[in-house]
Amino acid sequence: MKNPFRNRFSRWINRRIPRSDLQIFSQKNIFILPTGAGVVFGLLLVIMLLTGINYQNSLIYLSTFLLGAVFVGAMHQTHRNLSGLELTLVHPGEGYAGDDIPFRFRLKAGRDDAIAILLSCEESGLAPVHLHSGQAQDVTLPVHSAHRGYLRPDRVRIETRFPFGLLKAWSWVRPVSAGVVFPRPVPAPEAFSTVEDGEESAEARSVEGNDHADIRPWREGDLSQRVLWKRYARTGQMVVADWEGEQGGPYWLDFNAYPGADHELRLSYLAYLVNERGRSGVRFGLNLPGQIIEPDSGPAHAARCLRVLATWGEERPRDAMAEPHGTRKKERETTSEWVAEGQA
Amino acid sequence: MSLIDRLRGNESDEGATTNLPSRALLWLIASFALLLSPQWDRLPLWLIAACAVLAAWRWLAQYGRVRLPGRLLRTGIMLILIGVYVATVQGRFTVDTAASFFVLAVGLKWLETRSVRDFYVLFFILIYLASVNFLFHQEILWALVNFTGIALLLVGLQVLNAPDLPGGMTSGWRRLGGMFLKTLPIVVLLFVFFPRMSPLWSVPLVSGEARTGISDTMRPGDISSLAQSSERAFRVTFGGEMPAYRDRYWRGLILDYLDGETWRQGQREGFRPLGRVAVDGGIGELEPNQYDVLLEPTDQRWAFALENSRAVSDNVFEDSADLFRFRRPADSPVGYRLAVEGEVSSVQEQSSAELRRYLQLPREGNPRARELALELRRSMADEQIIRSLLERFREQEYFYTLRPPAMPDDGIDSLLFDEKRGFCAHYAGATTFVLRAAGIPSRVVVGYQGGESGAGGDYLIVRQYDAHAWVEAYIEGRGWVRIDPTAAIAPDRIESGLRDAVAEEGSFLEDNWASPQRYADVALVQWASLQLDRINYQWQRWVVGYQGQSQMDLMSRLPGGFGMRELGYMTAGIVGVGLLIAGLISAFQMRRGERRDAFRRVVDTWHRLCASAGVPVRHGETPSVLASRLAKAEPAAADSARLFARMVNSHYYSAVQDEDGGEQLRRMRRLLGTMKRQLRKRQLRRSRTRTGKSSD
Repeated sequence: MKNPFRNRFSRWINRRIPRSDLQIFSQKNIFILPTGAGVVFGLLLVIMLLTGINYQNSLIYLSTFLLGAVFVGAMHQTHRNLSGLELTLVHPGEGYAGDDIPFRFRLKAGRDDAIAILLSCEESGLAPVHLHSGQAQDVTLPVHSAHRGYLRPDRVRIETRFPFGLLKAWSWVRPVSAGVVFPRPVPAPEAFSTVEDGEESAEARSVEGNDHADIRPWREGDLSQRVLWKRYARTGQMVVADWEGEQGGPYWLDFNAYPGADHELRLSYLAYLVNERGRSGVRFGLNLPGQIIEPDSGPAHAARCLRVLATWGEERPRDAMAEPHGTRKKERETTSEWVAEGQA
Repeated sequence: MSLIDRLRGNESDEGATTNLPSRALLWLIASFALLLSPQWDRLPLWLIAACAVLAAWRWLAQYGRVRLPGRLLRTGIMLILIGVYVATVQGRFTVDTAASFFVLAVGLKWLETRSVRDFYVLFFILIYLASVNFLFHQEILWALVNFTGIALLLVGLQVLNAPDLPGGMTSGWRRLGGMFLKTLPIVVLLFVFFPRMSPLWSVPLVSGEARTGISDTMRPGDISSLAQSSERAFRVTFGGEMPAYRDRYWRGLILDYLDGETWRQGQREGFRPLGRVAVDGGIGELEPNQYDVLLEPTDQRWAFALENSRAVSDNVFEDSADLFRFRRPADSPVGYRLAVEGEVSSVQEQSSAELRRYLQLPREGNPRARELALELRRSMADEQIIRSLLERFREQEYFYTLRPPAMPDDGIDSLLFDEKRGFCAHYAGATTFVLRAAGIPSRVVVGYQGGESGAGGDYLIVRQYDAHAWVEAYIEGRGWVRIDPTAAIAPDRIESGLRDAVAEEGSFLEDNWASPQRYADVALVQWASLQLDRINYQWQRWVVGYQGQSQMDLMSRLPGGFGMRELGYMTAGIVGVGLLIAGLISAFQMRRGERRDAFRRVVDTWHRLCASAGVPVRHGETPSVLASRLAKAEPAAADSARLFARMVNSHYYSAVQDEDGGEQLRRMRRLLGTMKRQLRKRQLRRSRTRTGKSSD
């Protein structure tokens, strides 16, 4: 019953706040409502007014009006506290699945001071940030990741209740850029590939090693080259030959070295091995279905491998409404005008 | 979570202090102390002490010196304090007791102020406490104290919401001050135009407090004790000339029944339904014969008036004996307006039946006074008796004194024949006794006589020590005539006041060390106290006293009939227009703020430039991608475009740098200029070739 409404609201918000790594907060995208304390404050004002009326007390009238004016003033203050503020996603972070991924944001105050700004995403939040006008500050917001792949928080909430906590002004930023979440490393079992490296021997084996091949039923993700088509023609069963040690060996980390394991688990094994190899400084390569990384060593290589593991089979999120920083609504209007002219 | 953990968590919940910032708490406590101060004289001492202890407890707990009490101890403290409260209140329910219960609740709340939520609860209670204070004290200084208390609370809230903000306190005050100044016009307009409705239900402000002031019984020593008080009784503004000092007789009530030694009102005042509204006197222009009285609260219905007055404002009405009464006890300062009629043209004749009660005397006592009366009666007519009695006072050695001797038996006899020392109440009582014994209907009148000029000399302050008692006698053909034995004994009292009358004795305000009036011979003290009084008087008349009638008076001067309904529209309009103006201002500031962001403007220009070169910005495009596309389209501008993109990137992604921002902007602008020139050259060339082709 509530959900359709909520969905609708959420769609409306999404329309209102297009995806962008840079958000400048203004009347268009700031929401403001009284907090619980603000509502009670309103009730208190009503009670005070009633007291003033009943006791014919001018000074109670006066203090009611003063406090009412303070409330309205606070509304403007709270709004101004947020408006003009720039929030940029500077660097979407990387990390392992299940961890909090650090996203670096830059906050830059506009003409007004921005005090007690709270940045949060789902459960995680930051301590209040204070910025004087024109000041900028980088903050790191941990975003919880559940699984490997691209991590793009749907909404990062920015909120302020300053000065009195009677009103809260909030908005969201919906980043375009995504962080990368590596598979959670899981200690890999001994791979049953035993063969040392050496292209020629691998080649030789692949030629002659048919005998040693493990035969197993076809699973999604298996390359079509590996299907034993002859057998298929004969029996109608799709089977795959897992050649023992193909591109395997200590220097090749192979996706296919763990038959029977779930894909995600295999990636976790590989992530574990990448870390291990990366630490020990040996050269290694990575073989994933459809993607091969040549052997190399060093932390940069390890990071690259992890990224490949993280994004294997995942599609980079793209949003039709995405805007990088530097573009604003106005530009879109001008460009569309331009397009219209061009078409004319 | 293990059980132990949970226990520990609970314990820290109960015992230790909390995450409330100390500075915010300090503001809250300071505000509490300030808001309690207007109540110091009406709250029982134990309650003030308890509040101080509880607040101090909370404060020490903040620093970990002591622990906040656990639930058991807290409940115990609560029960004990409430028990003491119930014992002292003894079932009386007045606004006073309600207010002290309120204070007690605030005090107890200190022990459980742990979370932000508790902080807000205290904030709301304290704000309301400020309103309650306004019920009891409306002087300008107390109002300032209250408003300061509210301001402290609001600063405390700011500290609470940004506890680690450096310089948060000063900026908090500045922010609050700015807010106050910006909204002041709206507040003033609302104050003037908000319709002052009549009370929705009647809540008498019954106060258990004993007020200083005259009472409806008079024992010989009563008024002399009142003479030790310099509290203000009322203030008067005259439309015309102020009457001479000796004519300032403010009649309050008539005591016509002598009960042993005590004078009382012979008849209970007739029952009148309690007025619902404490109507104010209005603030219109005063006619020359009118005067405005602003009476301090007395909790009584008596209004004080000059002789031959007539009620002008609606909140007073005239009684049978030319006395004035309110429709509702004066539980807060009341203003009312009267007019002095010139000479009374027709004497109201009273029948002998009506007059009989003014001859009442106790059956026995004071034989010598009765004898004197009979002696006078034997040889003289009424008026002669009065004259000779006053002559007796004038010629014999009677003294006017604030230190009368005790006269326990037959007080009137010993006053008249032995001691011959007394205060106005003694002489008024004795005179009435003798006149009645001589068969002349007479009565004691209690009220005030005199009053000093306030600062600027445009109004009169009548204080408690101006309380006075005198006599009225009924004379055939002339009606009730005022007779003041004090005038015969101590003319100074009537001509210039009590201070001069007892100057020799030195007993003026001798028990009242703190009164500024006592030091009136020190010019500075006198000046300061009068100036303060004047400010307060104006405050009371124009701000505190601005109620229904005053509002209507003011509105009636505006063109067009302004009624309640128009005021309602007006209020709505003010609120609407105020919000609109505030909205417009903030929108305007926003616009200006946007325009001011130079960096943004430069990037905008670049985008326009790109678009005009045939490379419109795509969604989701980084500056460098845009630059490379531009470079492809217009190779001439390739280098400058790439450099520009790099600069945009560095602006966004490099570490925070503010100092060289200006320099970078200049460079970017220069680069834009270069790019523009390069592009224009290209376009020129292209258009030239195109025109060349078309001419072919």
